[in-house]
Amino acid sequence: MKEINFRGRRTMLQLFKKVVTARELVVFVITLGLFVIFGFLSRGTFSSAEVIEIMAISASEIGLIAVGMTFLMISGEFDLSVGAISALSAYVLAVMAGQMGVNPFLGMVIAIIVGMVAGGINGLVVVKFGIPSFIVTLGTNWMWRGVVTAASRGLWIPFRPIETHPAFYKFLLADLPSIGSVPLIWFLGAIILGTLILNFHRFGNHVFATGGNREAAKAMGIKTGKVKVLCFMLLGGISAFSGCMQVSRMAGFQSLQGSQIMLVAIAAVAIGGTSIYGGRGTIFGTLFGVLIVTFLQFGLIMTKVSGWWYKIILGALIVVVMIVNNFLEEKRTKL
Amino acid sequence: MNERPQAIVEMRNIHKWYGKVHAVDGANMIINEGESVGLLGDNGAGKSTLIKILSGYHRPDEGEIFIEGKKTIIKSTSDARALGIETVYQEQALVDLMSVARNFHMGREPVKWGGFLNKAKMNECMIPLRALGLSIKSPDFLVSSLSGGEKQGTAIGRALYFKAKLVILDEPTRALSVREVQTVLDFVKGLKEANIAVIFISHTLHHVHSIVDRFVILKRGKVVRNFKKGETSVDKLTEVLMD
Repeated sequence: MKEINFRGRRTMLQLFKKVVTARELVVFVITLGLFVIFGFLSRGTFSSAEVIEIMAISASEIGLIAVGMTFLMISGEFDLSVGAISALSAYVLAVMAGQMGVNPFLGMVIAIIVGMVAGGINGLVVVKFGIPSFIVTLGTNWMWRGVVTAASRGLWIPFRPIETHPAFYKFLLADLPSIGSVPLIWFLGAIILGTLILNFHRFGNHVFATGGNREAAKAMGIKTGKVKVLCFMLLGGISAFSGCMQVSRMAGFQSLQGSQIMLVAIAAVAIGGTSIYGGRGTIFGTLFGVLIVTFLQFGLIMTKVSGWWYKIILGALIVVVMIVNNFLEEKRTKL
Repeated sequence: MNERPQAIVEMRNIHKWYGKVHAVDGANMIINEGESVGLLGDNGAGKSTLIKILSGYHRPDEGEIFIEGKKTIIKSTSDARALGIETVYQEQALVDLMSVARNFHMGREPVKWGGFLNKAKMNECMIPLRALGLSIKSPDFLVSSLSGGEKQGTAIGRALYFKAKLVILDEPTRALSVREVQTVLDFVKGLKEANIAVIFISHTLHHVHSIVDRFVILKRGKVVRNFKKGETSVDKLTEVLMD
């Protein structure tokens, strides 16, 4: 067949329009706006190097999970158990490397396998029994949280890689003057890899098809159940990695670790424009969604909002950002 | 199977139960090379079940299927498509939120190293679509922006591109405007010209009558009549279906 080029002759104007009308632009503008506003309100504390460094670590821990969540939500499912899975894996790493003296790299590999198995269980129950993932993962969230609480008896399990295993600590959390914050590099790596797989790989095509129209995908020979289980496993594994990062940073495991992270990650993905009904979403949108929730969390602290009000304002702002996002999105589609 | 070398599909004594419902009750059907057949029957006669068995969506409880004379078990929709049986469903089996090219190759994506999509090869979908006379401007357009006729065209274009031997069209003219119906009927004629066999299922006898060579009538899960086109008329078909 002769070669055909259907993409030629794209004028600068078309290119400009494509960039300006990209959905991510809306969330990008909100991200930038929040940065400027909080920088101003906190008189520069917010945009200082120290705060940015802390935010980079926090954004990375949330963001890794959010990247996995983007895949799962595009496939049309949901996972409320990511926080508990990250805690389960953190517990495994803390016990193995902190108490049993296992090499922490090996401990982390085992923790990630545990996370993938936990994700796979979620996926199999959802696919085989046809139960909504919202309900299944609500259940497994309590289950895994119960398991780590019972196993640790609610006690602190120390694990101080910064002192005992510096190589491992650097691998996950170093802040190197030459290349910058390592957690951020992990996060950006996940974004690049996630974008490549979602938009340029066969698997990404199957994920969009599964979430966009499951019957059509099935009729075209896509194994939609397998796609969903793989998305659950991917998210489980990446949540485990994030959990290992947290437990190493906090120098120990406590049974409530990661209990907030699941809702924050879901909020970030939704703000980034991924549909909770499946079939639509981008990793770049998620990146900005993660930055937005991180800026809100830290911006409110930096502007010295009273601790009593913090959650009220944070919750309200997340809703306001969604409204602004939808409003701008409506304007954009009319362009 | 030397006595019927030209039959590309033969279904023998096919049975399918849904619980206590005997949806297909010993149906026999032969489709010859390049032949277009109208599959007719009232609601619940078993048309959809019969073709879903052929397209790999359901497995028969009893019976045999021969593809080009060879006994074959069709386990999945991928199996059916590998055998050259392409199905265009009522719902068109397209994903609205995905591009034309991505829909076109769904489940059979051409890939380069490591499973990454071969975009240039995917854009080749425009060749059969243009051949069908569709004026879709870019393979990157979302399917949601297409008209009903263009969507059917995209689904039918898949059959041309992947060199199907048999295309099953399940109510392809349903919910289309008058002009779009004509477009879709022209697509079907395009398939005939490419010597691709067609099974056309429709309630609208006029649509079927204008393009097929033969009629197969299903009743209560059984094939009750076979008509050559010359032997019958729309009125006579209506009568047979009604009684």
